[in-house]
Amino acid sequence: MKMAGNPKFAHNKDAAGEPGVNRRRMLAWFSGFGLFGSAILSAFSNLVFIKPRATYGQPQRFNIGKPEEFPSGTRMALDTRRVCVVREGDKVAAISTTCTHLGCIVSVADTGFACPCHGSRYDQDGNVTGGPAPKALPWYKVSLAPNGEIEIDKDTEVEPGSYLNV
Amino acid sequence: MSQAVKPPSLWTNMRELPANVWHSLFRNPLPTDDLQRSSTSFTNFFLHIHPVKVNKNTLRPIYTMGLGLMSFFLFLILVVTGVLLMFYYVPSTTQAYDRMLDLRGTVAFGIFLRNMHRWSAHGMVGVVVLHMCRVFFTGSYKKPREFNWVIGVLLFLLTLFSSFTGYLLPWDQLAFWAITVGTSIAAYAPVVGKDIQFLMLGDATVGQEALLRFYVLHVAVLPVIVTLLVAIHFWRIRKDGGLSRPEETATPVAVSVKAVELSKNKTYGLQGFVRGPFTKIGNTPDNSVFAWPNLLIAELFVFILTLAAILTLSMMFNAPLEEPVNVMHPPNPAKAPWYFLGLQEMVSYSAFWGGVGIPTIFVLLLLGTPYLDRRTAGVGKWFARERLLANTIFMTFLIVNVVFVIIGTFFRGPNWEFVSPWK
Repeated sequence: MKMAGNPKFAHNKDAAGEPGVNRRRMLAWFSGFGLFGSAILSAFSNLVFIKPRATYGQPQRFNIGKPEEFPSGTRMALDTRRVCVVREGDKVAAISTTCTHLGCIVSVADTGFACPCHGSRYDQDGNVTGGPAPKALPWYKVSLAPNGEIEIDKDTEVEPGSYLNV
Repeated sequence: MSQAVKPPSLWTNMRELPANVWHSLFRNPLPTDDLQRSSTSFTNFFLHIHPVKVNKNTLRPIYTMGLGLMSFFLFLILVVTGVLLMFYYVPSTTQAYDRMLDLRGTVAFGIFLRNMHRWSAHGMVGVVVLHMCRVFFTGSYKKPREFNWVIGVLLFLLTLFSSFTGYLLPWDQLAFWAITVGTSIAAYAPVVGKDIQFLMLGDATVGQEALLRFYVLHVAVLPVIVTLLVAIHFWRIRKDGGLSRPEETATPVAVSVKAVELSKNKTYGLQGFVRGPFTKIGNTPDNSVFAWPNLLIAELFVFILTLAAILTLSMMFNAPLEEPVNVMHPPNPAKAPWYFLGLQEMVSYSAFWGGVGIPTIFVLLLLGTPYLDRRTAGVGKWFARERLLANTIFMTFLIVNVVFVIIGTFFRGPNWEFVSPWK
């Protein structure tokens, strides 16, 4: 087979005058790149494979009940949901109770939140007041579901201090 | 076809069957002279990993302390006990803990095998670290052993990761919170941290997916990688001419022959293609001895010592099993396994620097050691004066970590407050 119409290869001959050696080398390079590239791609496809598209653990968005169940002044930690529901007047908010340090559950204290494992302390709004925690506790988006219940979406963080009026 | 040789009769075949089977298995009789010792090592798969002759320095107990072998034997014990435990373990959040209780109550030798597995894992972490110290303090990572040091560092990290992934499997409080903390530390890695955490857990929090993932890593992925790297590690020791040793003071008796100069008629040394001068039979240096039986007996001794230690520990102390997982109530303080307590202590000062920054720098320094310290002096001697600087730096890292581990173990109480163990 000749590399017709390709001047670069047509004029390239090795010492013995045999044409086509460079073509072979080029094909070898292409095959090499092809194999190597496929290997890289399949390695990435493994990563895609082990990253779950659906998770079966706790839902990140859930309803917690009617606003009436949380009278004004409530600071109720829902430990299983790892969130603390705060109601002041007509305003409702949800503050994470997962410590931003190493993922322990912070307990609700008079002064705010405290991590029992590594000593991080937060104020009522989740701002760090002591310990190794690097940042404040996140606030989650709170909305009213169509059935009138409060819905918390842990996938969406909101600015600390933003409340939902109910 | 030749009809001249008459095939042996059936009776002869039957009569010679045991001997024939035996000789097909073992090509040599038990060796009585040096030539047979050579061919025994040379023709046996398991002995072939050994050279026919080893330098006497290799066998000095005070030089290697058998630490590398000990790590390997502990790995073997872990594989055997681990496979046995797999017969009873189920990686399910609802069953795992009950299976642990089963091991304690209903399975014959169940608690004993679990003890052996747990103490071998702890022992392996310790012995691998000590082995790394031995190699460092004797300067054994230097040319031509640079890459074997790199493999060794990778094996050290894999040992830690294997132990860590095994930690979750009993699904008790200790396991759950150690993994919560451990994966949170991983999340501090820049850019990819959160993704790594999600890939490890397979979910937003530690749960069934995480348990299954850690199980697969622990029983399949990591052991296969460790086995492969151990094989390369050992193979490289052979190819690098055995363990490191000090420069020979006397003129070596070995005849130096360049590989390219070998003609077809040349007799190759049985020692094979090790780097450096070839050794011809009958012209060997005085300071080497036959691997059979000297090296084999030394290895057997280390194996028996290791096994005896693990058996004794397993009979005396039970592996800890805490309360079943309670997501609502983290223990206070939640402590990682002892070898990660230095890390946890650093993390309590700065999450990023303690958990990611300093460990990364430390691992990169370890990996780069043979390429940064390239002077050839002081190889094969403990704490050689020529290596004072390198040894001091390494020792400093080591002592700092040990101090942190001790603080984390004994001086940290609830809320990670500083407590005194003496009151």
